[in-house]
Amino acid sequence: MTTLNARASRRRRSPLGSRWTPYVFLLPAAAYIFVFQAIPLLQEVYLSFTRTNLLNPTRSEWIGFDNYTRVFASSDFQQTLGTTAVYVIACVVGAVGSGLVVALLLNGSFPGRGIARALVTVPWAAPGIATALIATWMLNAQYGIITRALRAIGVDVGESGILDNPDLALPAILLTTIWQLFPFVAVVLLSALQSVPTELVEAAEMDGANRLWVFRVVTWPVIRPTVGLIALLMTIWSLRRFELIWLMTRGGPLGTTRTLVIDLYSQAFDSKQLGAAAAIGMVGVVIAMIVVVGSRLVTRAAEKDTA
Amino acid sequence: MATHTFRRSRLGGIALLAVAGLTLSACSTGGSSDSAEGGEIEPATITFAASTFGDPGLGPRLQELVDEYNASQDIVTIEPAAVPFPTFGQTVLTQMGGGEGPDLVRFDMPEFTSAADAGLLEPLDDKIDADELGLQEGPDQYMFVNDERYGVIFDTSNYVMYYNTDLIPEPPTTFDEFMDVAKATTQGDVYGLAFRQTQAEENGVWQDIFNYVYGFGGEWSDGEELTLNNPKNVEGLEAYQSLYDANVIPKGADAATFRKMFAQNKVGMELNNGGYLVATRGTNPDLNFSVAPIPFPVRAQGAIMAPIVINANSEHKDAAMDFINWVLEAENQTSLQEALGASSVATKTTRSDEQLAETPFLPVYDELTNSSSPQIVVGFGPQTADIRKIVVTQVISALQGQQTMEEALDNAQDEAEQIVG
Repeated sequence: MTTLNARASRRRRSPLGSRWTPYVFLLPAAAYIFVFQAIPLLQEVYLSFTRTNLLNPTRSEWIGFDNYTRVFASSDFQQTLGTTAVYVIACVVGAVGSGLVVALLLNGSFPGRGIARALVTVPWAAPGIATALIATWMLNAQYGIITRALRAIGVDVGESGILDNPDLALPAILLTTIWQLFPFVAVVLLSALQSVPTELVEAAEMDGANRLWVFRVVTWPVIRPTVGLIALLMTIWSLRRFELIWLMTRGGPLGTTRTLVIDLYSQAFDSKQLGAAAAIGMVGVVIAMIVVVGSRLVTRAAEKDTA
Repeated sequence: MATHTFRRSRLGGIALLAVAGLTLSACSTGGSSDSAEGGEIEPATITFAASTFGDPGLGPRLQELVDEYNASQDIVTIEPAAVPFPTFGQTVLTQMGGGEGPDLVRFDMPEFTSAADAGLLEPLDDKIDADELGLQEGPDQYMFVNDERYGVIFDTSNYVMYYNTDLIPEPPTTFDEFMDVAKATTQGDVYGLAFRQTQAEENGVWQDIFNYVYGFGGEWSDGEELTLNNPKNVEGLEAYQSLYDANVIPKGADAATFRKMFAQNKVGMELNNGGYLVATRGTNPDLNFSVAPIPFPVRAQGAIMAPIVINANSEHKDAAMDFINWVLEAENQTSLQEALGASSVATKTTRSDEQLAETPFLPVYDELTNSSSPQIVVGFGPQTADIRKIVVTQVISALQGQQTMEEALDNAQDEAEQIVG
């Protein structure tokens, strides 16, 4: 008895058994987030209210909301916001849509399925910079294979080529982005599809449901949370995507591919205005927060409906 | 906004010349290691950052020059730092803004004026005697910001017209001839001319249109006010547009592409700076080409001017100054000139017979030094990047038919005035 009491007492005193244990495990992650995310974010908030030059970052001048006033009054920034919205929405819809179609195809049974599943991940595995450079070459106005092919079939891409055509540059970047993203969506959704109970599918088919109906009443409810999560990730990633756009067009021609992050970079490193760049960054943060909160609200509403 | 003025070297620091002269004469004999103040230099290893150290043609030659300096004395050791050209300005300026950075830097002009205006460079007024050193006045006048000298020319590459002598035996001498030759040479997949005309090459477009603006008698500013929509600028850029509209260039091709085309006999003419000579020979040693002054109405063209400067954060300013003094010695200027090929250096040097035999047209570059201008908006150096973005965007909009060139420059003037205040 005495031995048992002593053991119990030791267990209670053990650091692993105390009520602080969860906090100890959380501490490294919390410290990481505080140092590498919270502090920079707070610094960005502060910078956005100052006039700060990249070349003299320690000499800031507090100017209140001037950066925000100037940014929102600029027609260029309004164009940037519009372009960002189009880019993000098209990326999410395009990547999730094409990824879902590919996942459904790969979930079927056909010869060479294993090879097809492996091959489809290649674009996702390719480095973003390599993808951008290869796409730029394929779209080159003189030698690009895509440009030549389009011209050969009579499509007018303009004399200066696709990436310098204000009407075609953004679609070209979007297609490149979606090409790179859809494998990730496809692979994740494929794993979600494999958790769909086959007996439910078979029962629905025996009841005479066609493929579309089976998808709607059986498959979709199972994969919907995964699709929601992927759409959220795609939105955040698309909001902050930089290298592909920068390498392909640097935000041109005529600002038609200038998204928030491109504008931010340009303000910070071309114009050297860290304050204005921070204000643009804060706009991006607010948009991202709205997306995350909105997504959570939609998910909860959907869960309530299901319950 | 600070006012930035440039002036001729002879106006700078006259009262200090006696002291500076004594110092320089002490420093310029046999690679002396005396400090600029006349004291002993502390032994130090210092860094010298230049994008050209990474150039396959120039890099090894510049390295040899540095090695020669290191071997000439045993107190200061220079370590070259090769930062790639596309990110050079941003990388080094960000380091310097953070209180760090290399001790010596070879900057391009826009970054030089930005850094000087921000107080990141060591003033050199009392350390450089332009008259005694015989610095070339044309480029040297741009080494001053806010009436203070912050650098000395390391190298200057003047813009000339490169032409393929197989395609174009006689170079054009007027703009009309230039247009005619470009049209006559354009056949099939061969183009008469090539220049940058896409937003993705904003900096390159700026460099190219600079020659048209100044070559037609225009200027981006009068030193105090912006003159972006000056009628001469409109005339020059309409000439640029007329070539674009005449379909004599490979539209949409970037510089890397059309320079390969030039090396492959697919492009007849190109306006480019002295640095292109080494690169072109490297790409195709058998290419038959020559250079001539740009055939525009006014003999004025752009130049890549690259000052060498001392980082104000450096803890070894005397050591850095010792290297600058060593480079400015006549003998070492000649070595540097030979290493650079078609570029010029701070002082006037004589080309060797060997060099002239290898490249008979070298004097063409040298004769343009005093009529060349750096590709900045004079008086608005630190704002050049912003003004450049506005102008290039508007000009490309005009090229694409969305407005006339006159409207484009009027819009650019309005937008740029809002930025500079």
